[in-house]
Amino acid sequence: MKVLLVDDEEKFALMLAKRLELRGINTAVFFSGEQALGTVEQGNRFDVAILDVKMPGIGGIDLKRRLRQLDERMKFVFLTGHGSTIDNAAVDQEVENCLPKPLQIDVLIEALNRLTEEP
Amino acid sequence: MDNAKELFGYDSLAFFGKVSASISHELKNVMAIISETAGLLGDLSAMARGGTAVDPDMLTSSTESIIEEIQRGFTTIRQMNRFSHSVDTPVVSVNLMEIIDLVSNLCGYLSFAGKTNLHTGEGAVPMALTSPFILQAIIYQAVVQSFQNAGSGAELDISIQSKNESTWRILFDGFSLNEFDVFPDDRLKNMATSIGVSICWDRTADLLELDVPVSMQDPSLQPAVTERPAGGDELRSRA
Repeated sequence: MKVLLVDDEEKFALMLAKRLELRGINTAVFFSGEQALGTVEQGNRFDVAILDVKMPGIGGIDLKRRLRQLDERMKFVFLTGHGSTIDNAAVDQEVENCLPKPLQIDVLIEALNRLTEEP
Repeated sequence: MDNAKELFGYDSLAFFGKVSASISHELKNVMAIISETAGLLGDLSAMARGGTAVDPDMLTSSTESIIEEIQRGFTTIRQMNRFSHSVDTPVVSVNLMEIIDLVSNLCGYLSFAGKTNLHTGEGAVPMALTSPFILQAIIYQAVVQSFQNAGSGAELDISIQSKNESTWRILFDGFSLNEFDVFPDDRLKNMATSIGVSICWDRTADLLELDVPVSMQDPSLQPAVTERPAGGDELRSRA
């Protein structure tokens, strides 16, 4: 499984990537939507993208739309630390898999496994 | 002063809510990092129990990360405390540099925030009898609007100088808005008028000036949002 992790909170992203790697999950980490788009535009392919919902510049939901245009097969998991009703409504419309921060790693792993088993 | 009390209504609540939300998001990020790092330490511990060698440097960096995030959390809570107490007294004598310092820290919790550079001048301490909460709200809205336009790489230089015996001038160098941005809006104008603050924006020079009366209770002061007809935007209304 190849995972794309995008979160502007660098320490969080690096720690999570390390924990995924310890579980045998190959994870590419980017700290902005722009950087993540760049790597996929260069031809790098990922099974699942883990995206923070709220980031400066390209936010998680917008990033999902753009990544999907580049790779229809890519699956998505969202991470959210926000509680506003506006953010929740936007996420509900776009998102099937949304996990709150702080994460439970087992719940994330379960979501990743489930998504990669889907056709 | 009665105007200032009246403004402790919806607009003030909205400002208080916005700042509280950004502080809570910051604290949630701190908790998330501590949680992941503690989880990593748990993973490494499980590996060690299973007989796998664990890099001691990874243990050290993980614990240092937790300590850093705890300090970050405490700093955030200190700012939250300063902000919460700014409503203790509607009108009080304050050091304007401390007000700006607090707002600068609060703005830093926004994901799109740029960098604010505070320049402390020489001379008298810039004390003013004013509403700290409403002044914070004015400065916060101005800085946020500028950063929303300019982006996270922007820098804003803020300084205070004595305009005259009865007025301090807060200067925002690098204050940048879009061509069609409305500034200040009616809400900001009302807040400024209520505490005798003048707002002067020179669009061509990316410079914003807030004139703060040394004493907002001085009846001789004319609060103003001033209109500069050429070379900038200075909006004037008479109280």
